[in-house]
Amino acid sequence: MTDQITFPDVVSWAVPFFIAAILIEVLWIAMKGKGGRYETRDAVTSLIMGAGNVASGLLLGFIAYGFFMVLWALTPLDLGTSWWVIAVCFVLDDLRYYWVHRFGHRIRWVWASHVNHHSSQHYNLTTALRQTWTGTFTFMMIVRSPLILLGFHPAMVLFCGGLNLIYQFWIHTEAIGKMPKWFEAVMNTPSHHRVHHGRNARYLDANYAGVFIVWDKLFGTYVPELEEEKPDYGLVHNLGTFNPIRVAFHEWVGIFKDATQPGITWRDRLNYCVMPPGWSHDGSRDTSEEIKRKYLAHHPEKRGTPGF
Amino acid sequence: MPLHILLPLVVLGIAGIAVLLHLIGWSKPATLADDAAAKRAWLEEFPDDPPKRVVLSHDHHAALIETEKGHGVVWPMGADTTARYLTDAKISRTGKGLRIDLPDYTAPRIHLTLDAEEANQWPSLMEHPA
Repeated sequence: MTDQITFPDVVSWAVPFFIAAILIEVLWIAMKGKGGRYETRDAVTSLIMGAGNVASGLLLGFIAYGFFMVLWALTPLDLGTSWWVIAVCFVLDDLRYYWVHRFGHRIRWVWASHVNHHSSQHYNLTTALRQTWTGTFTFMMIVRSPLILLGFHPAMVLFCGGLNLIYQFWIHTEAIGKMPKWFEAVMNTPSHHRVHHGRNARYLDANYAGVFIVWDKLFGTYVPELEEEKPDYGLVHNLGTFNPIRVAFHEWVGIFKDATQPGITWRDRLNYCVMPPGWSHDGSRDTSEEIKRKYLAHHPEKRGTPGF
Repeated sequence: MPLHILLPLVVLGIAGIAVLLHLIGWSKPATLADDAAAKRAWLEEFPDDPPKRVVLSHDHHAALIETEKGHGVVWPMGADTTARYLTDAKISRTGKGLRIDLPDYTAPRIHLTLDAEEANQWPSLMEHPA
């Protein structure tokens, strides 16, 4: 059993590239007067969230890695580190990403961690870095278990996860319209991911892909970006603060308040943790399904179009 | 990447990008062109609660909204806006206008820049229906 394998920490090595790409996008927008929007405090908040994500990885990463190494000690399988094993691992880890990301939008406990990535009303390369500080607490590392048990070394799996995140960086931009058709058909692109960040009723709960958009097409969550409906970025209820601490923890605070309120059943308390965002015991809030239903009530002609 | 390189890179990168954006002029708060724009901004947050009345601040950076459910405000979040109802709000005067404290973790404090006349009027408008 191989357990002394090391792979580079590609995300931290990509930091100079991230900074350079942001500067290029800023200058492009400033010179061309199109291709996206920036705002100082929004961008700084996103960048601090990114730095905090790296810091939380340094502080808490040992929990997931320790869990993976336990699984690695248990499994009799070892696929080695040849290039094709890394390639298969990358594809399967992207499938893992699709499901974790889908859970992240459909289970409030996981949404509490992921929500901050959607909390900017902008969509530019800094938005890509607006990442969670609390991913460890979602326990979504469990979804990676099959990969380890199949014989992919934990270091390789994390390496592939890092490459996945780096791929997703460049798709957080309005400076690129659409890529060639063959590329749009297979890969996640700026156009597909703009849809994912849209708060429009049409675009809610769509395009969960990391690298390969084929997962959304396969599992029925794909919605194309429509020329006639530009994505409106942000949350259904946008934040009223740029404070990174509040951005990072606000949904956890919301869960705590909801689940500990007096006069509700234990089932309600559990549901406030695990039901989709917007669920409430008295129906006083709207889930994405309810938002879509209300929208269609006002726009019945849109029924049957993408996203509805 | 070694921490002694990563840390300064991140700090200088964030600071450098912030300074660049500010120098380009991308720190200006959102402006609400007219009552209709304020209404649209409100409806983006509360699509089920159409405004009955809109009071736009003189500098066009904020609006007081009245709906069937009560009073709320629209205010700039950088180049964009957000909105909240004023349920259980504590309102106090500041040198530049009003400060609104809300029991809301996602919007605990709203600073509205208002002229003296508005700062005198708005608290009573926030409490009493038109």
